[in-house]
Amino acid sequence: MLEILQNNWLLFLVGQYPHGPIGGLVMTLFMAALSLALCFPFAIGLALARLSPYRWLRLPATAIVHTVRGLPLIMFIFWTYFFSPLIIGRAVGGVETLVIALVVYEAAYLSEIIRAGIEGLPRGQTEAATSLGLRYWPTTIKVVLPQALHNMLPSMVSQFVSTIKETSLGYVISAHELTFAAAQVNNVLLTQPFEVYGILALTYFALCFALTSLARLIERRISAGRGGAPGIVVAA
Amino acid sequence: MIRFENVDKWFGTLQVLAGISGEVRRGEVKVLVGPSGSGKSTLIRTVTRLETIQGGRVLVDDADIASRSVDINRLRQRVGFVFQAYNLFPHLSALGNITLGLTKLRGLSKAAARERAMEELARVGLTEKADEMPGLLSGGQKQRVAIARSLAMDPQVMLFDEPTSALDPEMVGEVLAAMKRLAAGGMTMICVTHEIGFAREVADEIWFMEAGRLIERGSPAELASSQAGSRLGAFLRKVGPG
Amino acid sequence: MGYVFDIGSVLTGKYLDWFLIGLATTLALTAVAWCLAMAMGIILTLVRMIPFPPLGWFVALYVEYHRNVPLLVQIFVWYFGVPSLLPRPARQWINAHHGEFLLAAIALGLAAAAYVAEDIRSGIRSIPKAQYESARSIGFGYLGAMGYVVLPQALRIAVPPLINQTLLLFKNTSLAMAIGVGELTYRTREVESYTFKTFEAFAVATALYLAISFGIMALGSWSGQRLRLETR
Repeated sequence: MLEILQNNWLLFLVGQYPHGPIGGLVMTLFMAALSLALCFPFAIGLALARLSPYRWLRLPATAIVHTVRGLPLIMFIFWTYFFSPLIIGRAVGGVETLVIALVVYEAAYLSEIIRAGIEGLPRGQTEAATSLGLRYWPTTIKVVLPQALHNMLPSMVSQFVSTIKETSLGYVISAHELTFAAAQVNNVLLTQPFEVYGILALTYFALCFALTSLARLIERRISAGRGGAPGIVVAA
Repeated sequence: MIRFENVDKWFGTLQVLAGISGEVRRGEVKVLVGPSGSGKSTLIRTVTRLETIQGGRVLVDDADIASRSVDINRLRQRVGFVFQAYNLFPHLSALGNITLGLTKLRGLSKAAARERAMEELARVGLTEKADEMPGLLSGGQKQRVAIARSLAMDPQVMLFDEPTSALDPEMVGEVLAAMKRLAAGGMTMICVTHEIGFAREVADEIWFMEAGRLIERGSPAELASSQAGSRLGAFLRKVGPG
Repeated sequence: MGYVFDIGSVLTGKYLDWFLIGLATTLALTAVAWCLAMAMGIILTLVRMIPFPPLGWFVALYVEYHRNVPLLVQIFVWYFGVPSLLPRPARQWINAHHGEFLLAAIALGLAAAAYVAEDIRSGIRSIPKAQYESARSIGFGYLGAMGYVVLPQALRIAVPPLINQTLLLFKNTSLAMAIGVGELTYRTREVESYTFKTFEAFAVATALYLAISFGIMALGSWSGQRLRLETR
């Protein structure tokens, strides 16, 4: 296993770069970060639309979220793969395809997290802001969203972990990322699939577990900042 | 029937029971009073080993409840316990709460258990609520079902842990009435309560606890006459005439 | 572009058959993996209750591995990796008996089990300790209190999240196409590459996935309302 790692660590890390396109772990992280960043505004828009008092905003947003939740990510990837060339008018690479599909997919899931974050705020916050005379947008941007997003920080990190895991589907459309790199290594070696995919699994595990632990740490900090969880009251 | 011998209990470094001794004889009603945090609830919880003790002994019918020869689950069937928060099982109807122990522990048939449960519901005046889910009962009704649930197991003694403290004032009366009937019927009882009126009327003896110690005890009449200078007197004046 | 949308062209003859076989395979894969997930999830929950710390660590490691490694990679480990460790006759047996279906079901089921175990655990944790104490006070032992009082309530709470896990499991079966399991996504690509009716083929698959997903979602929200209990 160590030998495989010694001979191929560069391929796992950056793909075929500099002799070919950049890939591997670096590309995995890049795609995950990029799609999460790009989907963020859409997610906030969807969340606000779902909480809107207007039906014409609420219904389409709800429909979008449910449709995304009902379809496998791979379906989005294929839709994007086959149809963005028709729309854009040129061939679209694997990385772009994956990022577009992930933005749509993650926006729906992230919007649910944001919505829960907003709904989790005490009603008094909006009431206090509106009684100060603030209108909808100032209330939302200055009072509601900052608090909701702060409380949601752990969920955002978890969402980043999900996105990292989902970029592995890039393999299916030959986007050059970590899983694709491992498959290439496996195709060269042929005889040690367990070791190659074991290394791949452990790499993802180390990365995602570290981030998951970070999310837990932040969650404890945040709940401690709120005065902590209610302690156990000893009965008289 | 129940004897406490030098009972000590610590939560970590905090001593919550310190050298408690006392006896409850068959048919007696003892009422435990004292400020919150004085160890009253903890003391009665030691009787059925809901709390373990670090020093002394608790005896039920002359058997040390900590000894290996005591089957704690059998003992608990003989000692009914009523909680402040009722603790009804929300997934079972009022009747189901009562029949659960009868069918699963006593091995009664469903029909027999139902009949027995209806008797107990009648005693607390709730036959018409038999099939109601606990979520739809008022606090007072829940506590009466909880009492009926304990009584259905034919306990020889009943322990009440502030049974009316979680209730709205207008519901306190119905629960106390059920407890008074029980006392009049000769049930052995230990009640932790702040209802001083109930204590005066029903108690054979009042135990006053403070900071984990049993510092005063006597019949309501004795305490009333010697009330003036005592700690208990001061406490009773504070909680009001009751 | 002069493209004529003709859904009929992929819903006839052998193409219709391919869709139906694909859908049946997807459902079968979901069902097999679901049973494995439930069984393993319950086993993990029970093992975690045994007061022997190393067992608890093992369950924690199991849960963390399956939650922090991409499902596709888990499938690859099972499909490419595990058989290579087996003796030759076992490998031949797997190759001869649609091993990809079996191994995909194992990978999907074991991964979902980690989430099932977590859902059941949070269900149990959400039951107040007083409920357990109350059952013990009536005279129930540990098993009686868990079996008659705690678990029935915990399972009610766990059902909606478990239905959501079922939805995710159903969607995740699509990953099995990467190792050649002939499920719905795999067959859709086949239809697409034979007919060049890309839009139609994926529209049919999308409709089928959505129909079943919406059914599961509806079941989830119905059960959520149906099973809720007033607790105070």
